[in-house]
Amino acid sequence: MIESILKQVIARRWLVLFIIVTCAALGIWNYGNLPIDAVPDITNVQVQVNTEAPGYSPLEAEQRITFPVETGLAGLPNLAYTRSLSRYGLSQVTVVFDDGTDIYFARNLINERLAVIKNELPEGLEPVMGPISTGLGEIFMYTVSALPDARKADGSPYTATDLREIQDWIIRPQLILVDGVTEINSTGGFDKQYHVTPDPSLMLRWGITMDQVAFALRNNNDNRGAGYIEPNGQQLLVRSPGQLQNFSDIENVVVANRDDLPIRIKDIAEVAIGNELRTGAATRDGKETVLGTAFMLIGENSRAVARNVASALTAINNTLPAGIVAEPVYDRTTLVDKTIDTVRENLLTGAILVIAVLFLLLGNIRAALITAVVIPISMLGTIIGMVTFGISANLMSLGALDFGLIVDGAVIIVENSIRRLSEAQREDGQKLALDERLALVYSATDEVIRPSLFGICIITFVYLPIFSLSGIEGKMFHPMAITVILALCTALVLSLTLIPAALAIFMTGRVAERENLIVRSLKVVYRPLLQASLKLRWAVVPLALTLVALCGWLATTLGSEFIPQLDEGDIAMHALRIPGTGLEQSVQMQKVLEERISQLGEVDTVFSKIGTPEVATDPMPPGVADTFLIMKERDRWPDPGMTKSEFIERLEQVVTEVPGNNYEFTQPIQMRFNELISGVRADLGIKVFGDDLQRLEELAGQILAVIEPMEGATDARIEQVSGLPMLTVVPDRETMSRYGINISDLQNLVTTAVGGQQAGLIFEGDRRFDLVVRLPERKRIDVQQLETLPVAVNSFSEGPGYVPLKEVASMETVTGPNQINRENGKRRVVITSNIRDRDLGSFVSEARQRLASELELPAGYWLEFGGTFEQLESAQQRLSLVVPITLVIIFGILLTAFGSFRDALIIFTGVPLALTGGVLALWVRGMPLSISAGVGFIALSGVAVLNGLIMLSFIRNLWRETDDLDAAIIEGAMTRLRPVLMTALVASLGFIPMAINTGTGAEVQRPLATVVIGGILSSTLLTLVVLPAIYRIVHGSRIRALPGVRNRVADGDDGSGVHRNMPAR
Amino acid sequence: MKTVTRSVLNTRLSVARFRWLPVLLSLILSGWASAQETHDHDAELQEDFVRGEHGGRLLMAGDFAVELTLFEAGTEPEFRAWASSGGSPVDSQSWSLDIRLSRLGGVSDRIGFRPVGDRLTGDSSVAEPHSFEVDVTARYQGRDYHWHYASYEGRVHLSAAMAERMGVTTGVAGSGIIHQTELLYGKISPDPRQVSHITARYPGLIQAVRPALGDHVEQGDLIATVEANDSLQTYQIRAPISGVVVDSHANPGEFAGSEHLLTIADYSSVWADLNVFPRSAQRVRPGQKVALRMGRLWTSSSIRYLNPGEGLTPSIIARVPISNPDLVWTPGLLVEADVTIDQFEVPLAIDNLALQEYRDWQVVFIKVGDDYEIRPLELGRSDGQFTEVLSGLNPGDRYVIGNSYLLKADLEKSGAAHSH
Repeated sequence: MIESILKQVIARRWLVLFIIVTCAALGIWNYGNLPIDAVPDITNVQVQVNTEAPGYSPLEAEQRITFPVETGLAGLPNLAYTRSLSRYGLSQVTVVFDDGTDIYFARNLINERLAVIKNELPEGLEPVMGPISTGLGEIFMYTVSALPDARKADGSPYTATDLREIQDWIIRPQLILVDGVTEINSTGGFDKQYHVTPDPSLMLRWGITMDQVAFALRNNNDNRGAGYIEPNGQQLLVRSPGQLQNFSDIENVVVANRDDLPIRIKDIAEVAIGNELRTGAATRDGKETVLGTAFMLIGENSRAVARNVASALTAINNTLPAGIVAEPVYDRTTLVDKTIDTVRENLLTGAILVIAVLFLLLGNIRAALITAVVIPISMLGTIIGMVTFGISANLMSLGALDFGLIVDGAVIIVENSIRRLSEAQREDGQKLALDERLALVYSATDEVIRPSLFGICIITFVYLPIFSLSGIEGKMFHPMAITVILALCTALVLSLTLIPAALAIFMTGRVAERENLIVRSLKVVYRPLLQASLKLRWAVVPLALTLVALCGWLATTLGSEFIPQLDEGDIAMHALRIPGTGLEQSVQMQKVLEERISQLGEVDTVFSKIGTPEVATDPMPPGVADTFLIMKERDRWPDPGMTKSEFIERLEQVVTEVPGNNYEFTQPIQMRFNELISGVRADLGIKVFGDDLQRLEELAGQILAVIEPMEGATDARIEQVSGLPMLTVVPDRETMSRYGINISDLQNLVTTAVGGQQAGLIFEGDRRFDLVVRLPERKRIDVQQLETLPVAVNSFSEGPGYVPLKEVASMETVTGPNQINRENGKRRVVITSNIRDRDLGSFVSEARQRLASELELPAGYWLEFGGTFEQLESAQQRLSLVVPITLVIIFGILLTAFGSFRDALIIFTGVPLALTGGVLALWVRGMPLSISAGVGFIALSGVAVLNGLIMLSFIRNLWRETDDLDAAIIEGAMTRLRPVLMTALVASLGFIPMAINTGTGAEVQRPLATVVIGGILSSTLLTLVVLPAIYRIVHGSRIRALPGVRNRVADGDDGSGVHRNMPAR
Repeated sequence: MKTVTRSVLNTRLSVARFRWLPVLLSLILSGWASAQETHDHDAELQEDFVRGEHGGRLLMAGDFAVELTLFEAGTEPEFRAWASSGGSPVDSQSWSLDIRLSRLGGVSDRIGFRPVGDRLTGDSSVAEPHSFEVDVTARYQGRDYHWHYASYEGRVHLSAAMAERMGVTTGVAGSGIIHQTELLYGKISPDPRQVSHITARYPGLIQAVRPALGDHVEQGDLIATVEANDSLQTYQIRAPISGVVVDSHANPGEFAGSEHLLTIADYSSVWADLNVFPRSAQRVRPGQKVALRMGRLWTSSSIRYLNPGEGLTPSIIARVPISNPDLVWTPGLLVEADVTIDQFEVPLAIDNLALQEYRDWQVVFIKVGDDYEIRPLELGRSDGQFTEVLSGLNPGDRYVIGNSYLLKADLEKSGAAHSH
């Protein structure tokens, strides 16, 4: 089949060329559609269902909202699990679907159910789905602020409420239209509200209740259309306007009549612009501000969207009132551009280095160019594939592309062809005729096409275990594996088509090919080395084994990390305060913190989101603030040489001086991923499920007491679920019944008094604002005043007509649940622990066994074990299955190529030898082991096998031809020196830029590149020196022990039909 | 022969294949295994002292060692000490111990020890907070050993500038007046003795009416003349009280029967009828001072008497006379009244803003220099503004009033351990 393809390709070479060029053009066009981002998206397929429930405490939110929503959503197709949290004023249910579920399909399913669920929720509550976005979605943030001397039309300075109004009604409606933006979220400022604040004693005077006030407002604030009349042929629309327009309209609403006297709002209440009871705030550089965040739609190109938002914002700035500015504070474009620059630089330099090496070693510019052209075309082919599979271009997906590996196959073919061509020319002494040339190219290609295809196949296969990674690791590395495989497959196709075609077309002139100085001098060095190695083979092999063992030990000392973290440049810092801290207190503390931070010379600006934003994409309690530090360009730092971690150390010092806060340091994108994924991130998480919160807490305490003293347990803790102080107004049913007051009357009163009651909307053009009835602020915040709040009584004909609140209810301050977490429809509390100096498995089984014997679980309570150990276990299981299978497959390929177990085995020995170099390289550079490095080792195994393949296949053929083992080894190794060196050199040089780059994002690629370079160097060296020695030992012993076996094996080989096509030179 | 070779080969194959497998596996997997190292932010709570076999602090000097614990399970907190010499326990009779605790603010406690079983036990209990510098003096075989260490609890250090920026303000603890009040609502009503409904003594025709509605009349002023039907005599009606004509139904030429002609009311003194509900009833007593408010108007008086009423409503009425020379308190007006239930001077009172909950205690923070430390308090009576302190604080102590929450927040964030 391969022969016929080759024949066709060479015969229709121009057509092939044309098709390739067309494909390349397609690739260029596709490049425009390629989503580009800094890092791969590791968010799972999830939909947040948020229900805002003003005034609801965690318990009520859970009982009335979370539970119906959760149970309503249970049993959706492809549902992985649900988790939920219920906080003050908010219920959030996160529905996680199996990976690969279409997000729009998932949202449709949820939408369908929500319609039903809505009927079961308390009136007026609306469950809504969060924005269609992912962890990478927060691409752009801006603040709205007033210049110091900016004044409103009436001469007063702008307040936080005004800024929020500008954000909500001028900026947001325009920005949300930008292509690819799915949500603009606002944090900070106050929603403007019209407040009617009745005085309790004035209400008593006239016997008016809060409800009556709200009722009156509600019924005197409407426009109505009334159809039309047609008096004389002309149509007249009829309408009756009655909307409240301004303060005096509101003040003049009649609430009731007393003794023929109309009682108006102004007689009993004040009307003013008031502040909502907000759940979130924003600050910047120590001042309150309003912060807008643009969320990118799933799958969009973050760079393009962020850029569009930025330019839209610039345009909007011109339409803002004088003195108001909307300034970008975070723009993803910066980071993406920087990382993509890094990647591009790496790839370009790598490509140039590869071309240079090809030219130097081949000594023929045309041949070098033909080989090199594989690079851009396979790149374009990869892009087509990436767009088709929806893989974004980022640090990880492009991080394992090595053009050296890609051109390996082409190098082998081109090298063989030009040598054959030059040999033929030398024989003929003149240029070849067309058909001669074509025939020669055909046979030269045919000669080596199989090893090169095998090589590519093997490298492709070694990437397969990566697909067994699941979860976050899977999301990080699958794109990388797919990209590499795409590139290799394209290269494979190109070696089969473009290369022969191009050789046939372009290698017309004299083909000057000779071994240049470098190769020759290398050979001079190599020969004695090889001979020595063969002679001392009984010493060399143990030495190599020792080296392997040494490096195995070295690997354990390297230290390790998960994935090298992309340095995003900017810093995100959580400032955490104790539960129960109020929002305004938190804002004050945050302001001081920011003032202190902005004194640091490295920080350009600092801004914070405190509490929960308008759309609860990130529900935090009011005591927690996400603080973003936008850093200056490094050359503007007071000390540009300072490293990021040094800076963070310094930052930590500085912020610890500010009292009352605890801190966690992370980075913007990283933080967002953590928030969204939000699983248990400790080694071991023990989840207690059950009904009663108190019971759960007790059990959690008992579990902690069991776990904590166990050997290896570190940082064991219980997640904080309680500690929220509450003022409870407990109705005294008996007294209330005597007064004839319903519980709901009392609750309505308390709700209206403290939280306010919505009594309609006030329209200002497009803008609409809530009209709220609430107690005057000074009475609202004073508990003693609340105690005497009059409750209307109708049951006595005589008497005062009211009773003070404290007569019928008792007020208590209690500590209640801060937050109620649920998972899969049940309340749960998590105890987490990390494990040090002990293997996870034994710890977990000991914990299980101890808990089983020491902990008595009441009926209806159960434990689940989770945490990273789970992932580890499953990854371990999968890998221990997949890695051997992959090895068997590769072994199978080798076996097909050689038809000999021994030779296949010998080639396999190249792998541990290659790994030694990788480990050494990491050690020399002081890098820890990481998954990235692990992927490097995987790639390395492929290259090592390829090296061995090239070497051994030739030695074998020579040996069979000459029947002299030692001579065959030496001769074979000498001849194969150049191709081995060449493939190794291009592969390692291709990665060099990646290994030494220091640009943004380089740290993610560095370990992989380092491992591959180190590994290839060692593997090449060892392939050249140790492999022949092993070969000699293995086959030498067979000669001695079993003379004649060789021939039998060789006879058997004939059946494979492969070795005959091995290069014979 | 051939089959044997094959099987040998196979064995070698499997050995060879799996020899390097663990290496690769361990390389790859160790990446995950340590994923967590990046997640720990909190350093472990570092103990800067050595613990002894009884779980206490081990103080060592050469061969001699003293282990000191603050024991508080089930008893008042007390110090317990064990000594050892060269690793073997020292009899409790043969050594002596003396401890001085220096607390923030220059107060120091001295604790002597007596032998109990194999240990020495402190002769007095240790008051909260257990935050002090400890001077330990032990005497064994004629030699004195000294140790000094600090054991802080509930203490925060804050620079003056930061305290100011954060709005941390202080006051000096001292005597104060606790002013307990009760907020009541009520209505202004006229003094029934100061309202006069005037009727004609004999039915007849009204001939003249002097004052118009709203006119002020003095007692004895002529207000109307009426011609009696029976005698056809005209007689005069004079004002029985001084006051204002608030109602008038009489005009010349009209017939005066048994209905009211005029109502004269004197509002220069009125009553406030305050509704007292059962829960307040026991606290409200005649004679208590009352501050009355209506909008910007205010006046003060005291409760004259309590009127249980006729039992139609659960509330009773406290009546408060108001002198009303300017006639601003008009009947029907609704008033708020702050009734002073009790008022007393206490030797030590603190601002309610200063109080915070810390663990199970009500605490205030005292300030010494730039150090702040909790003082668990036993509290007495309280009003809306001040609270009496029974113990836990000394007069003259400077304590934090403004933003005391910050100090609590700082203490709890670091998870200050209660260990000694």
